[in-house]
Amino acid sequence: MSASGALHDIHVRGLRKVFRQKGSGVVVVAIERLDFTVERGEVVAIVGKTGCGKSTFFNVLIGLEPPTDGSIEIGGRTPYGDFDHFRGRIGIIFQQDRLLPWRTLLDNVTLGLEIMGLPPAERRARAEHWLSRLGLDGFLRAFPGELSGGMRQRAALARAFAVNPEILLADEAFGHLDEVTARQIRGQFFDMVRDEKKTAILVTHQLEEAIETGDRLLVFGRPATLLADLRLEAWKPDELADLRARIQATLQDNQPDPQLIRSGETPR
Amino acid sequence: MAERQSEAVEAVDVVHGGRWPKETLVSLVAFAILWHFASMVLPPFVAPSWARIGKSLLDIAGRPDFIAITVARVGVALIVSFALGTAVAIAMFRWDAVERYSMPLVKLLMAVPVLCWILFAVLWFRLREVRIAFILVVVCAPIFTIDALDGMRGVSKDLREMVRALRPTASQFFVKLILPATIPAILTSWKVNLSLSIRVVTMAELVGATSGIGYALMQANETFSVADVFAWTVVLVLILMLAQMIVTGVERRLLVWRE
Repeated sequence: MSASGALHDIHVRGLRKVFRQKGSGVVVVAIERLDFTVERGEVVAIVGKTGCGKSTFFNVLIGLEPPTDGSIEIGGRTPYGDFDHFRGRIGIIFQQDRLLPWRTLLDNVTLGLEIMGLPPAERRARAEHWLSRLGLDGFLRAFPGELSGGMRQRAALARAFAVNPEILLADEAFGHLDEVTARQIRGQFFDMVRDEKKTAILVTHQLEEAIETGDRLLVFGRPATLLADLRLEAWKPDELADLRARIQATLQDNQPDPQLIRSGETPR
Repeated sequence: MAERQSEAVEAVDVVHGGRWPKETLVSLVAFAILWHFASMVLPPFVAPSWARIGKSLLDIAGRPDFIAITVARVGVALIVSFALGTAVAIAMFRWDAVERYSMPLVKLLMAVPVLCWILFAVLWFRLREVRIAFILVVVCAPIFTIDALDGMRGVSKDLREMVRALRPTASQFFVKLILPATIPAILTSWKVNLSLSIRVVTMAELVGATSGIGYALMQANETFSVADVFAWTVVLVLILMLAQMIVTGVERRLLVWRE
């Protein structure tokens, strides 16, 4: 069970995000409009071209940026407005490991637990459990600079899982690793997500990665709108090649595909 | 600022860490030999012999109070400068308005030559210790401020976002991210200020002090004793090297993750 004691759906309603560039003052639309719901326990992959607003959506979703219009609600609360409420409820894996270089792996994993105010013994036990589960039990006292990129990213996974969050979010979390390492760590991530029955959202620009890992696939246009929303389990393995081609075409045209939208969801 | 820091680090790297590369020993021995020959051909008030300098060093060993007084002045002033300079940097980091109004003043303080501060101190303060402390603090504190603020501002956006996403309180954010990330800049600032304060304190002691190494140098100057000047200079260099070694030791301990 998560820190909150309950899992909630994530409701994205009429979400729009506009930036004004510093200096030039030019207005940039990062998110045109997004409406969808991620149900509790779902594993969702979001795919879109580079620069389509995926990372902006990610920052709004974790509460680092406010929406310009619309809202994201989780259990009736918004990650930006109720910022402190989500302490320990959202686990995040970023594009790079973002470990603090002056902390050992153990201390990096306990960081979120320190912020939550857990006692030292529990922090240590939790951190050791997750580092051990990710095959890093021999490196508790190592500094990030002493380890490979793959090991550091596994430590970042341990840091995200250690807070026992309700929701796990990964932003291009495996794209910077070599293919073999990325596949291995991605596999570990989704095994743990499913074992722990978490809600997870993976943001990626790689269609193959999205199809391989998600239960559900959301395709973002540029600027971010919903071009496709489908359950991958409904597609048989021999149909996946056709699906890939249709999604590629959808991304190319930047137009929603009515046949790839789940009933009840209306893209704008 | 970064350029100045790197120059300073380079300068102290020659002596810090207890490593004495072969080149350092060769150049020091060559200098000692050249001085020896110079002392044989030049009059003693220009280039005294090593024996005369050694006698002066022995005399100095009999006056450890002067060394202790100067070291204490530098130590206390640096601690006060560090506390004051870092506090101002934290306030500037925390509140933009404080930075907007304070930064011009900090830059103004840094632009004033040390000699002017010495004259101001003589005019403004009657107590000698206050004069010396004022000069040291007004010269060193702004450097701590600028370096600490640079260090705080230099924390990467990626790490800020990562820690912010864990939803810390403002004090947790500062203690767990900003402060440890700023330690390298603060240690560099200590190295720069150690070197600077040794030079400034001797100048400050030249004017109006009745104790300390600067005062002793002035006395040596009045008696035309080059051997004493040379011996006190050796003592000053040794004090600085020792202090730099201590800071380097602290640095190695705190920044073990960088090795």
